[in-house]
Amino acid sequence: MIFTILEHILTHISFSIISIVIMIYLMTFFVHESVGLPDSSEKGMIATFLSITGLLVSRWISSGHFPLSNLYESLIFLSCSLSIIHTIYKMGNHKNYLNTITASSTIFTQGFATSGLLTEMHQSVILVPALQSQWLMMHVSMMLLSYAALLCGSLFSVALLVITFRKNINIFCNGKVKNFLIKKFIFGKINYWNEKRSAYKNTSFLSFRNYYKYQLTQRLDYLSYRVISLGFTFLTIGILCGAVWANEAWGSYWSWDPKETWAFITWIIFAIYLHTRTSTNQSLQSTNSALVASMGFLIIWICYFGINLLGIGLHSYGSFTLTSKILNN
Amino acid sequence: MSSLLLNPHKALFTASSSFPLRSDVNAQILVASRRAATRIVDCRPRASRDSFEAEALPETNAKKKNANRKIILFGSSPPPLSEDRSGAAGNGRGKPGSEASSWGFFQKALKRALAVLSNLPLAIAEMFTIAALMALGTVIDQGEAPDYYFQKYPEENPMFGFFTWRWVLNLGFDHMFTSPVFLGLLILLACSLMACTYTTQIPLVKVARRWSFKHSAEAIRRQDFADSLPKASVKDLGIILMGAGYEVFLKGPSLYAFKGMAGRFAPIGVHISMLLIMVGGTLSAAGSFHGSVTVPQGLNFVVGDTMNPNGFLSFPTQSFDTEVHVNRFYMDYYDSGEVSQFYSDLSLFSLDGKELMRKTIRVNDPLRFRGITIYQTDWGFSALQITKNGEGPFNLAMAPLQMNGEKKLFGTFLPTGDADSPNVKGISMLARDLQSIVLYDQEGKFAGVRRPSSKLPIDIDGTRIVIEDAIGSTGLDLKTDPGVPIVYAGFGALMLTTCISYFSHSQIWALQDGTTVVIGGKTNRAKLEFRDEVNGLLDEVPELVSIDQNLNG
Repeated sequence: MIFTILEHILTHISFSIISIVIMIYLMTFFVHESVGLPDSSEKGMIATFLSITGLLVSRWISSGHFPLSNLYESLIFLSCSLSIIHTIYKMGNHKNYLNTITASSTIFTQGFATSGLLTEMHQSVILVPALQSQWLMMHVSMMLLSYAALLCGSLFSVALLVITFRKNINIFCNGKVKNFLIKKFIFGKINYWNEKRSAYKNTSFLSFRNYYKYQLTQRLDYLSYRVISLGFTFLTIGILCGAVWANEAWGSYWSWDPKETWAFITWIIFAIYLHTRTSTNQSLQSTNSALVASMGFLIIWICYFGINLLGIGLHSYGSFTLTSKILNN
Repeated sequence: MSSLLLNPHKALFTASSSFPLRSDVNAQILVASRRAATRIVDCRPRASRDSFEAEALPETNAKKKNANRKIILFGSSPPPLSEDRSGAAGNGRGKPGSEASSWGFFQKALKRALAVLSNLPLAIAEMFTIAALMALGTVIDQGEAPDYYFQKYPEENPMFGFFTWRWVLNLGFDHMFTSPVFLGLLILLACSLMACTYTTQIPLVKVARRWSFKHSAEAIRRQDFADSLPKASVKDLGIILMGAGYEVFLKGPSLYAFKGMAGRFAPIGVHISMLLIMVGGTLSAAGSFHGSVTVPQGLNFVVGDTMNPNGFLSFPTQSFDTEVHVNRFYMDYYDSGEVSQFYSDLSLFSLDGKELMRKTIRVNDPLRFRGITIYQTDWGFSALQITKNGEGPFNLAMAPLQMNGEKKLFGTFLPTGDADSPNVKGISMLARDLQSIVLYDQEGKFAGVRRPSSKLPIDIDGTRIVIEDAIGSTGLDLKTDPGVPIVYAGFGALMLTTCISYFSHSQIWALQDGTTVVIGGKTNRAKLEFRDEVNGLLDEVPELVSIDQNLNG
């Protein structure tokens, strides 16, 4: 009984804190750089991470099994992993303009999980015999970690595409300014390549706007590459753990179940992403791979949510139907 | 503007005329070297081989001829294995004699096939197509009768304007994952994997392993990351690099260090393990046996009677002559009444009656015996044992009843009065699991619930009934799969090599140029972290205040 109350409290705490954090980010975005607030938003994210983890732990204790048996729990786990990624990224780097993506992903998943759509799944349920296995922890947690990492990486790529093609659209629109902007763009690029060759040899003046934009796209490209390769590793391990578990439980390591098939499709798409990055043409490489990663974003959602909506196949533990509240309204 | 995005090199060269850069030549070489240096898995053996080789091995003059010859051998015609071993004898390309023409033709065809197959865009297109077909396979219902497709994709009203049942049935989309189209694409992808590994990745590893010093400061400055330390010794740099985990080689004034070589090997490992998985999967599909059986508690069956072969490589083994006896089947329940686990106590006997093995299996815990695996997958209710008015016990067979939803329901009927009359009346008993039986009287009204373990009697319409026992039957799946060890090996290798290929292979060259040390480095994956790391390491190199004549060691 204590644990249910604790769970309840932690759910509400995490949701409120992260809403506040998002508010702070939005305010710093519009009302430029209030001093005390970025610090408190960092602390807010850490508090969110701690409360979500506490929520999961209390569910674990109260139900006796690892908290990953239905869609609600997996969503909580997903938002937990997203906040982990946010924290790791924050610890490793000093620039924090990519917080908007990780933090807002966390709030969306957490919000959806705690919203009224899934109330019937909030209670912890007992595990059916097929789920009573050690593999449950390994397989499902790996898959959710990989989803979190791949979602982050794909969002970075989408951001890259938006920035790149927004530049294009702007330049297309202003005819007269076109040549001037083109020159700025090339100049910024040349100087950046020079800079890359020798970190200490700084050439002089730079076209500020395009230089920073270019640097941002380069950074987004690099970050999305690193995060997606990490997510790809986790995805590989998760799929293979699932295959071994299926062999233990049902006798066949691959039965072309819809969920398995879509996980494999996700794997293939991100393998294509990694292979397009080896092409030699530098800017084409980043644009092409960003396109593939954006496709991957959609496919992850189909794999995670779409199959559960259909509710077919051996993975039907995660299926749900929208509650009658929505339908009656 | 979009054309500019697509062709930045063009932009570079046009711009260089208006803005004076340090050197156009440098920029061009930068582009060329980056193209060569950053290519990891680009499967185009011919075009860039020479430039790459020129970059990586300018100094090893002694080995150059041999190395050149070896690499040219790969680049121009990947030879069959026998010729590779006789490489020392020179280009043993064509055998003398009358076999030369057919052998040479075969070689040329092989070379051309390899060149076509190791094209990376082709591989990417194959992967896309396979992904699209798999998505289609989940959307179209698999394994239904043709009638179903006639109705769902009618010709009169085609989906998207063209998709009718003809597409589905002729192309084999109703059994997508075993259809010729899909399997053919998988085979093509496997061939591309093999070709790419052979022609590109293995030579890359050979070149990466052959470490070489760079003897000119210009060559070093051309690297992705280059710097120079004004008053330093290359030996100090070497010591600091060793402390940071690099393997350092020092020869006179020049230094070469690398770290994370495993990151270069790992992609090969990934491809090889994928091939292993494909081989294992093929073996599974072609050579396995599968069967399922529902056995009431207390009965037995012979393994070989239940198994069906899956493909043309399926051969029954000695272990098929084993008899399986179900000693007991029981279930565990939660307090709420839900089933928590199914258990079957099985004994295996040889045909002459000797007990070979005994194990209690449950879901997620199968029985393995000499290549056969028995899984607990299902359960049923076989019979209900009752005594009626003290007579008996009678075994009443339970029949499964259809109900909406997933829960099972079994029922049986005990006739009171004349069993042969058309309006026979009796007592009905229903059960959802082996735990409690619900009884109804002759009019169909609810009479009571009894548990088999309690042995409490119940009086219905003058008959006294005691539920003695609920006899369940266990649903078992039997399987033998020769491909599983291979597939598991492939899985393990794939997991390991995918983790390893996350590491970055970093290389650093340095040259003592008077009192200055010129440093250049490159890495294939973690570019930004590499730069920060090397900056940090360079900060630690001590500055020499007084220059000694004995500086060069």
